[in-house]
Amino acid sequence: MNRRGFLQAGIAGIGAAHLGCGSQTPLPTGPPGRSAVAIFKAASYSVDLLDLMRRGAALCGLDVKGKRVLLKPNLVEFASNTAINTNVAVIAAALELFRGLGAAEVLIGEGPGHRRDAIGMAEEADYRAGIEKFDSLFTDLNRDDVSAHRGFADLPEIYLPNTAWRADLIVSLAKMKTHHWAGATLSMKNFFGLVPGSVYGWPKNQLHQLGIDRSIAELQRVFPRSFAIVDGIVGMEGNGPIQGVPKQSGVLVMGGDLVAVDSTCCRIMGIDPERLEYLRLTAERGHLRVEQIDQRAESIAAVRTDFALIESLKVLRLLKQT
Amino acid sequence: MSDALSSRLDFLRTTQNPDGGWGFFPGKQSWLEPTAYALMALHSDSASRLNFERGWKLMRSWQLPDGSWQPCAAVRKPHWTTALCVTLHCLYGVYDDRLRRGVAWLLDTSGIENRWKYRMAHFVSPSVVELDPSFKAWPWLPGCSSWIEPTAHALVALKKVYKAPLNIAVQDRIGMGEKMILERRCSDGGWNYGNRKVLGTDLPSYPETTALALLGLSGNPALDLSAPLAVALRQWKGTRSPLARAWLAVSLRSHALPVPPTAPRPFSSPDTMLAALEIIAANGGLA
Repeated sequence: MNRRGFLQAGIAGIGAAHLGCGSQTPLPTGPPGRSAVAIFKAASYSVDLLDLMRRGAALCGLDVKGKRVLLKPNLVEFASNTAINTNVAVIAAALELFRGLGAAEVLIGEGPGHRRDAIGMAEEADYRAGIEKFDSLFTDLNRDDVSAHRGFADLPEIYLPNTAWRADLIVSLAKMKTHHWAGATLSMKNFFGLVPGSVYGWPKNQLHQLGIDRSIAELQRVFPRSFAIVDGIVGMEGNGPIQGVPKQSGVLVMGGDLVAVDSTCCRIMGIDPERLEYLRLTAERGHLRVEQIDQRAESIAAVRTDFALIESLKVLRLLKQT
Repeated sequence: MSDALSSRLDFLRTTQNPDGGWGFFPGKQSWLEPTAYALMALHSDSASRLNFERGWKLMRSWQLPDGSWQPCAAVRKPHWTTALCVTLHCLYGVYDDRLRRGVAWLLDTSGIENRWKYRMAHFVSPSVVELDPSFKAWPWLPGCSSWIEPTAHALVALKKVYKAPLNIAVQDRIGMGEKMILERRCSDGGWNYGNRKVLGTDLPSYPETTALALLGLSGNPALDLSAPLAVALRQWKGTRSPLARAWLAVSLRSHALPVPPTAPRPFSSPDTMLAALEIIAANGGLA
């Protein structure tokens, strides 16, 4: 929900329903089968992240031989005293992972939502220093060439970057954070950075007008060939996704079903995923219910660490142990 | 002409696309935004006359029937970059029907927060995002909220229309747009994209949007901008972003302020917009 929509909700009383207090439509059962999600403890960015990712890829049955892979980190803003962006160590390890798995091409792309100078932000976040030949791998998705996709929420079409269209697999290298409108920002909300500012602006206000939850769900529908690696080693709690407080959550979460990955992350954060509107909207295409997800490596209970929530989101707190 | 300026002009001349426009980066599809800045940068350079004419022709061809401009060939929808085209027409004294229709579109476009239902919602719950919705300003796209950058560009355009022999009433929108920018100023003295306070938390300003806000406010002697201009100067000295420095230089020079001397940076970036802005700054800004 956008800022204006949120204000409207103050009048219409929609807000309570949005946060899980009102009546909600029953959850869809989701696709047949089950989804694997790998959870690893990672106390810091100094641990062997590549080894963890290799194990996660094997546990999730990831096959990228010959594929064009686009790594999509979460690069929003930079502040040296907090944890807004995907850590460079996670990106560097993912780059090595996909190269090692035989991908034909591994690129990095991001379209920050507030700032124009993507390369400048990559510099601030140590991406250019920490990733060899970063500039030759990186595409500023805000200023890429674009092509139209017919139908997106209420819009007749949406324009999206050709670098994303060309990828056989988009890997959401997300940050584990609370989000003051959506509840949490994880692998699917990270796809906002695929939407080009050259068309939609900074911020990408059209997505807010359509509704943040709907837009997240639509982007997940448009880009179904995806995989997620969520950086929860140091996450963000409280007033995320930018003004929150770093949270030493010590976890890395991976999987090919982004609905299952995000719902698992929510449970780790102590958030009830069934109360997040965007997850309910995507539950037809992925597995939201815990009984439909095979948790590999660590269990949720072994890594659960409740993230502080702002007052208006406390209704989302997951009470039971999973 | 300095070597630094000459290398940027060469870069623009050699990266022009066959259709006459410029991409954000060499070899990419033409977009209106880098094309508009390239045209502003090349106009006064006699060696670039043919490049200018080819780019101008493409820019003119992208006007839509409603008077707005589309942002590139692939995206046929009204866009904030219409303001850049209005500015271009005024800069070069082309006061024709296309310009009038572009101005009419700008005057007819405003952010949706000014509509009654949003104003009512804001009245009920004013503290979620702190802003005054009574000022009509400009969105990135029709049907969206107003933000600093499109408002700043619309103000630059309409201030040029005001000085042109067009007899179009633009003063009210200029006044409202200026008030919106002043009202959205962050507590640290600069501007970000347009939210100064959300959920009770003050948000920081950015150098590039501070530059653009001040550019939009330039040309009004009634405004005392000494404090935010001092912030902009501090940001110019502190930022490492070439894009932010370029916008700050354009803005400060548009306020007739000298940009502190610095060693000319060899041009190595493949960023078309950056090259164009650095030339515009060197030529005195956009005032």
